[in-house]
Amino acid sequence: MQVMKQTPFHKLTPRAIRVWQLGNAIGNLFFFAIPVVYGAVFGTQGFHFWVIAATSLLFVVLWVLSIVLFPYLTWKNWRYSIDEKEIDLKRGVLMKNRTLIPLSRVQHVDTRQGPLLRFYDLASVTISTAATTHEIPALDAVLADRVRNQISTYARLAEEDV
Amino acid sequence: MYEFQRQHPVAAISRAFGLIRGNLITILVFLFVGARSESFPFLWWIAGGFALLLILGVANWWRFLYKIEDGELHIKSGIFVRKNLYLTKDRIQVIDITSGVIQRLFGLVKLDIQTAGSSSREAAIEAVTIEKAKEINRILRSQKGDGEQINVDENGEPAVKDEIKKIFNLPGKELLIAASTSGSFGIALSILATLFSQIEPIISESELFEYLFGMLPSQTDTILIISVIVIFVVVAWLISFFSTLFTYGDFHLELKEKEIVISRGIFEKKRITVPYNRIQAIHVAEGLIRQPLGYASIHLESAGYGDDKGTGSIVLFPLIRQDQILPLLDEVLPDYQKHHEGIKPPARALRRYLLRSAFLITAITAALYYAFDLNNWIWILPLLSIFWGWLKYKDAAVAWGEDIFLFRSRALSKTTAYIRKNRVQDITISQSWIQRYRNLCSVQVHVASGDQGKSFAVRDLEYDEAFILMREIKGKTELTQEFSDLTEPERWISLPGWPQAAN
Repeated sequence: MQVMKQTPFHKLTPRAIRVWQLGNAIGNLFFFAIPVVYGAVFGTQGFHFWVIAATSLLFVVLWVLSIVLFPYLTWKNWRYSIDEKEIDLKRGVLMKNRTLIPLSRVQHVDTRQGPLLRFYDLASVTISTAATTHEIPALDAVLADRVRNQISTYARLAEEDV
Repeated sequence: MYEFQRQHPVAAISRAFGLIRGNLITILVFLFVGARSESFPFLWWIAGGFALLLILGVANWWRFLYKIEDGELHIKSGIFVRKNLYLTKDRIQVIDITSGVIQRLFGLVKLDIQTAGSSSREAAIEAVTIEKAKEINRILRSQKGDGEQINVDENGEPAVKDEIKKIFNLPGKELLIAASTSGSFGIALSILATLFSQIEPIISESELFEYLFGMLPSQTDTILIISVIVIFVVVAWLISFFSTLFTYGDFHLELKEKEIVISRGIFEKKRITVPYNRIQAIHVAEGLIRQPLGYASIHLESAGYGDDKGTGSIVLFPLIRQDQILPLLDEVLPDYQKHHEGIKPPARALRRYLLRSAFLITAITAALYYAFDLNNWIWILPLLSIFWGWLKYKDAAVAWGEDIFLFRSRALSKTTAYIRKNRVQDITISQSWIQRYRNLCSVQVHVASGDQGKSFAVRDLEYDEAFILMREIKGKTELTQEFSDLTEPERWISLPGWPQAAN
């Protein structure tokens, strides 16, 4: 019943895990500003000490998890597949999503590469329709170019008006 | 038309006023803050601000040039950075002719030409004479090639092929009902609250305030609070009543061969032209108050930016009796069948609907009840939220036809959406871990509408059935056949289920 398509699903490159680990390690440091600011405003005595200790502990646990566990789970749950009719994206750990984009609806597709992705020689592919934007977050840069060209070729074949 | 030309000079003033109106709240806040600091020569600031706006308006007017050549509108604009905008007529989604108070004083109109996407907001000609607007409208909407030959009737509309087939009007009684049950009530209330928070320090010190509340019979705090709330609600209701009245007064919906023309407004006249083939979806909203009265409003999604900023929703009909909806839709969407077989979420989804609606409200109520020792009547809120959850469950359904999807769901108002299959931009099935445990899922589709697109969703459908629905986008057709293997007969439902007109 649920065998929907013949075209195989692809995973993201395993290097995506490294990128997200590094990104989370830096980005989530921001959360530690919350207990620091709290301490600066209310002091660190008595009740406030416990508030700061609890939030700090919570953030440390989340920070470690966001490096050790979350990137792996995200990667493990990401699948994409492209054929001449549609783009099929599966993602999500707790909340599982599956999105189908008919290729005739694709307005434009581009690859993007931030400094972090460039460091690992990766790129993301962004697919825009007239209503929404979807992203395949981390592919090998060469593969990303190929995927982009593939989508734009298929999209041109399936051209229809808005 | 074939030479570059300027707008009518009134454009300078109307643009300045447009800026003021767009930033009204900010300006008011500044005024109140300014009025309270006495060392501040703020009258000078206001005068300076107005002068600056006028200069900007004049400069903008001077630097704004437009022409139409070979069915293409070319606009040059920008004071320092010159911007060249080319609009081909094949790309036009919606044409909007508005005349605000300033334009009407001079017998002018504003022309808004919308294409899909966000650059559309640039293509507005602020003030032109009505004749010119109609000519532009005619050239841009005429068929390729034969644009010059079309006969023109006295209104400047192309006379051949495109005469009005049918006109729907909004009767006065229904306009009044629309105004008194308008949903902009909540918006008015929140604007009022923002304003009040700014004015409050001023008037609470003034004698007027003392005097007003001195008139009240007894001055306990409860009465004070209740009377303030009542005053707020009444004023907000009045604001929403009159704003709806002015927006939708003099409403006409004209159906032509190729396009719909919506004209409305008492002080600010608006005329919106939407070609049939640019309609992305149509949805019918039955509000909490309007539904029991037997009324609904009809909206259409266009890829232009529509009525409000950002969204492409256009009000197709502000208020209509439920048994009149289908006859109207038959005129607007003649090619589509309106009644379709569909399915409801399974019975086990009811629990999810009830929990989702009631959980948070019950928790907050309980916390407040114990913290502040509230009256027992407060428990009516969780009861209402359970009822609300049940309503949401009862209204959730999807149906499908050969080329159309029907999504019905409820947030506060019940929404029934007709979505053309070939206008669906994407379809998403999502499943939270609780839904996975119960083998349920939510289905969401996006259609193009303004900048952001518009989504329609139904929650907690049977997972396998949602999957078949998703497959439908891929052009499979034995849908009903496959469902009949899966679905218990009691979950079949025939949408949209409005009462039929007795005739």
